[in-house]
Amino acid sequence: MTTNVPPDLERKMDEQIGHYPSEQRRSASLPLLHLWQEHFGFISDAGVNWIATKLGLEPINIFELITFYPMLRQAPAGRKHLRVCRTLSCAMAGAYPLMENLARLTKIDREHQGAGMHNSVAVSPDGEYSIEFVECLASCGTAPVCMVDDVLYENVAPESAPELLGGSLSPGTQHPPPHPLERRLVFKNIGREGYTTDIDCYLQNGGYEQLKAAVKMTRAEIVNEVKTSGLRGRGGAGFPCGVKWVFIKPDEKKPVYLICNADESEPGTFKDRYIIHQDPHQLIEGILISCFALNVHTAYIYIRGEFPEGAKILARGIEEARAHHFLGRNALGIGFDVEIYLHRGAGAYICGEETGLIESLEGKRAYPRIKPPYFPAVLGLYMCPTIVNNVETLCHVKHIIAMGGAEYAMLGRPNNTGTRIVCVSGDVVRPGYFEIEVGAVTMGQLINEMAGGPKEGRKVKAVIPGGSSAKVLRADETFKLKNREISFDEIPMDFDTLAAVGSMAGSGGVIVLDDSRDMVWALNNINEFYAHESCGQCTPCREGSLWMKKITERMLAGGGVTQDPATLKNVADNIAGRTICAFGEACAWPTQSFVDKFPDDFAARAKKPVPPPLPPEYTAEELIAETEIPSVPLAHDPGWEKAGAAGTV
Amino acid sequence: MPNDSQPQLVNVQIDDVWHQFPKGTRLIEACEQAGSYVPRYCYHKKLSSPGNCRMCLIEMGMPKMGPDRKPILGPDGKPEINWMPRPQISCATDVSEGLGVRTISPLVEECRRGVMEFLLINHPLDCPICDQAGECRLQEFSVEYGRQDSRFLEHKVKKPKNVVLGPRVTLDDERCILCSRCIRFCKEIAHDDVLGFVDRGSHTTLTAHPGKRLENNYSLNTVDICPVGALTSSDFRFKMRVWFLKETNSFCTSCATGCNTIIGTREDVIYRQTPRENDAVNSTWMCDYGRLNFAYLERDRRLLEPMVRTENKLQPATWPHAIASAATQLKPYVGWQTAILASGRMTNEELWLAGRLAESLGVTLIDIVPRTGEADDILLSADRNPNTNGARLLRLASGSGTVLQQIKEAVWSGQIQALITLGENPLRCGITPEYLARLPVYVVLDLLANDATAQASVVLPSLGFAEKRGSMINGKGRLQRLNRAVRGPGEARDDWEILRDLVQAISGGNSESHARSGRLDTIEDVFRQMSEAVPEFAGLTLSRISDLGVQVLNGDGKPGNSAPEKMREREPEKQPQ
Repeated sequence: MTTNVPPDLERKMDEQIGHYPSEQRRSASLPLLHLWQEHFGFISDAGVNWIATKLGLEPINIFELITFYPMLRQAPAGRKHLRVCRTLSCAMAGAYPLMENLARLTKIDREHQGAGMHNSVAVSPDGEYSIEFVECLASCGTAPVCMVDDVLYENVAPESAPELLGGSLSPGTQHPPPHPLERRLVFKNIGREGYTTDIDCYLQNGGYEQLKAAVKMTRAEIVNEVKTSGLRGRGGAGFPCGVKWVFIKPDEKKPVYLICNADESEPGTFKDRYIIHQDPHQLIEGILISCFALNVHTAYIYIRGEFPEGAKILARGIEEARAHHFLGRNALGIGFDVEIYLHRGAGAYICGEETGLIESLEGKRAYPRIKPPYFPAVLGLYMCPTIVNNVETLCHVKHIIAMGGAEYAMLGRPNNTGTRIVCVSGDVVRPGYFEIEVGAVTMGQLINEMAGGPKEGRKVKAVIPGGSSAKVLRADETFKLKNREISFDEIPMDFDTLAAVGSMAGSGGVIVLDDSRDMVWALNNINEFYAHESCGQCTPCREGSLWMKKITERMLAGGGVTQDPATLKNVADNIAGRTICAFGEACAWPTQSFVDKFPDDFAARAKKPVPPPLPPEYTAEELIAETEIPSVPLAHDPGWEKAGAAGTV
Repeated sequence: MPNDSQPQLVNVQIDDVWHQFPKGTRLIEACEQAGSYVPRYCYHKKLSSPGNCRMCLIEMGMPKMGPDRKPILGPDGKPEINWMPRPQISCATDVSEGLGVRTISPLVEECRRGVMEFLLINHPLDCPICDQAGECRLQEFSVEYGRQDSRFLEHKVKKPKNVVLGPRVTLDDERCILCSRCIRFCKEIAHDDVLGFVDRGSHTTLTAHPGKRLENNYSLNTVDICPVGALTSSDFRFKMRVWFLKETNSFCTSCATGCNTIIGTREDVIYRQTPRENDAVNSTWMCDYGRLNFAYLERDRRLLEPMVRTENKLQPATWPHAIASAATQLKPYVGWQTAILASGRMTNEELWLAGRLAESLGVTLIDIVPRTGEADDILLSADRNPNTNGARLLRLASGSGTVLQQIKEAVWSGQIQALITLGENPLRCGITPEYLARLPVYVVLDLLANDATAQASVVLPSLGFAEKRGSMINGKGRLQRLNRAVRGPGEARDDWEILRDLVQAISGGNSESHARSGRLDTIEDVFRQMSEAVPEFAGLTLSRISDLGVQVLNGDGKPGNSAPEKMREREPEKQPQ
């Protein structure tokens, strides 16, 4: 089989390879795979070999990637490829009926055609459509959502499936005006009438002034402002940004890297999406200020693969900024060289974990690194000191420079400073994003006033306050704090209180469940997410996450036994705190808290004294057909061999 | 600054007892040295530490620091320890001053129980048909640290079985616990990055890229280091339960490296050879070529009884008759009419006696047959003779090959009337059947019948490396000892005994050397006699050579391999640039 790679494609690939240090060509693996798939439709064996040769790797190095990242296909998709988000908020809004309708209309039998978790692309008989369930597309506020090729369709009601397929549905959302309780800094221009992603628009609105101001300061001064501001990371862990930055020695001899973590994928979180899609220059300016402060000459934006439009917008923004000499050689004429490169992920939640992200950026499976010794600030990207910051965090840097660290610290509460964007989704009347001063708004205000409260005739039953990995809170709970007792509605939305009530502020994704929801069903949806997204590197999470999903699935199917809740809890206990990265906690906390807080829901589905018989593992036909054990049944879809001209490479 | 000879020691508390360890000791090793073995799957001391199996979780603590930033001392004068709430892995941390470790605690036990359960839920539990049974860490740690009952009510994840990874290795993916040892071995030691994981989460599957095979010359080491029954040796699988195997420490005689081995046998049959750790020789590895190079000992062509040519036909004979016949036939010739073709595969003791044989016959044309191949930069030496160094030391090897040429020419010219070959086939060095036909006397001491033995006057069947004791000197000058793992077949006799008897028959049992050194009743006596004459062996006895050998020659300047002193142990890929 000959591989005919057009010169234009190879030129694009060479350009991508140029984004990484010459001895780190492996980093270009994902970019090259994306280019290959865009051109050829899928990645054939020939493609694997070609790319491996191009990058000086073994084919297995590339094969490991295409089987790890779900966006990379080994078989062609249909002419239109539909990705339906199946994660909690979308599932609550009807993603499953939507999928059923789509499958029926496209005549795709998902039961038998690649319906499994790990080979999920199913193509219609006429080759027109392919559909797959994907995990959170980070647009939970407009659930359910569906991507048709690169375009996101929001609020796709199950009954609008024909319109979606027919092309008569239009993408896009309305952006309500800011709520009076909001305090907008980062989201000032989001959803604003007439505001565009052009640099001219940004400049007219005072853009890049903070960058110009920052380069007149010393590096230490900038770092100090960020430290004074008390800014805590907005990606999930809430680690103080200034403290992280101070890990970088001012006289560091090795190159220092900055990575913007734009792999927004925590279910319930959809804030970075809007910054990237509507205000890219704010992010670019934040990155450039941070680069200057940390003496970084190369920054990468690791953007999740499911944001193809966002990547294009950011790429254009970077070129515009270059044209205006905000980056590139001798940026701003101060003799400082700085480059920002985009690096697209390909559908792996674990890339949001900073060391997993670094491994992925290095062109490997996104296996998080052990800490110690691989703390990114010491041994990060290419074993060099590396700072990984979330999109929103980097945007805040710009505002800290604008306001001054001390002034910024006046926003919010002590140790919980600034503003942050909270995303509300699920069973509320007006789901959406709200930028609030940290702690200035209570849970009750957020849900009932800002998000319009529960739907008519419903009550809030439970809330997951910081992305799906945060522990769930009951709406009828009271919480004992140090000096007082507060009700659920009185919880101020800040880092410390949410931690004190036994959960976390996390990434700011608030998912509301009302009293119509079965908590076993909700947990099963979450468990499926984590079972699918576990990277599989370390034992407890790899085996435990799937086990928990199997238990809740069986309970939902009516096979729950009395010991199931206890087993679930104990399995989760055996994961949390025993894994390489925080994914262990992320997948254990939902189970721990759901089982703990909603014992009745679980007991109701765990009534059998003895386990029911398992459904047969094989069909009768399979048992007869399988006279011989297949010797090398690798993950190799025979579909592409039938691909014909379109799939020939 | 501490120097290399005296590494800095640090104090570490392990299970309430304080110990001292050299700085740089891996914590998991320190615990083991202190008698608190920490179970592990992914950790291998010669490979990088990915920390992925989580079996080695322990409780760890650092010294409590006072306001003066000095450790707070307890009543016993030792630092008080601040225990971390979360368990830590012990395979990725080095010991440090004041570190505290608990390997026995309710938390640690719970961690191990949890990990064991996770590893087993998707494992097929097919021990009765699994080759690893009996030496399986999954079995062992399950008994020691696991739960007694199963709580798993679901279907297990299905994965490929009976996958032929390469010509010598077979994989059962359902048994695989994804520890990645084999992947790291291939990448870091064998420099053949052929294995990898595909898919994700619990569905992660070990594989080679389609179209690529695990066929490098070190592939079977992956079977050794596989802690479970996922990777099995296609040669050994289904042949023998490992608990029936008798284990004999020995070393490989397929090249000059002399990788240390364990020979696994049952009832005088060799079932497998596995590498034995020796950092001065082979680390913990050996090549597939050497490992599998034992089947010839059981070939049909094995010579099983002494034979003497009578009426132009080789006829079975008794040993005394065969020896006497050989001596009688050899004695009439003077030294320059006789040549000896010795072998670099002979032990020192055999070579020593070959030297005595040459002496008793006055032979000067004696050499070993060189045997070379392509070397790799890992273990395999270009010199495929295991004891070239011994032959040199005992002055039986010319090294230049000119003596061989001389012998060949002298056989053709008729100058040589009697040829003795010791474990070498003369056909291999150009002494063809036509040459042999010119010899009135041709005495053969060998293992296997071949075209040359068919032309012999006397055939003396001898023993292979696994059937006898004796010493050899490897390419780096290390004296190592073969131990007998199996008995020789038929009437085949130990080479040294044959040579001794031959020498005594020729010299009448009253030779000078015999008188000087006394009787040669055992191979120990041979070594003693040799050690009296060879300064490099002074003070040694055969029994005193330890299982790890003794350095007797300066390894430098010798041809052959570059056996690593110590294989790379730490994070090869993640080293700072």
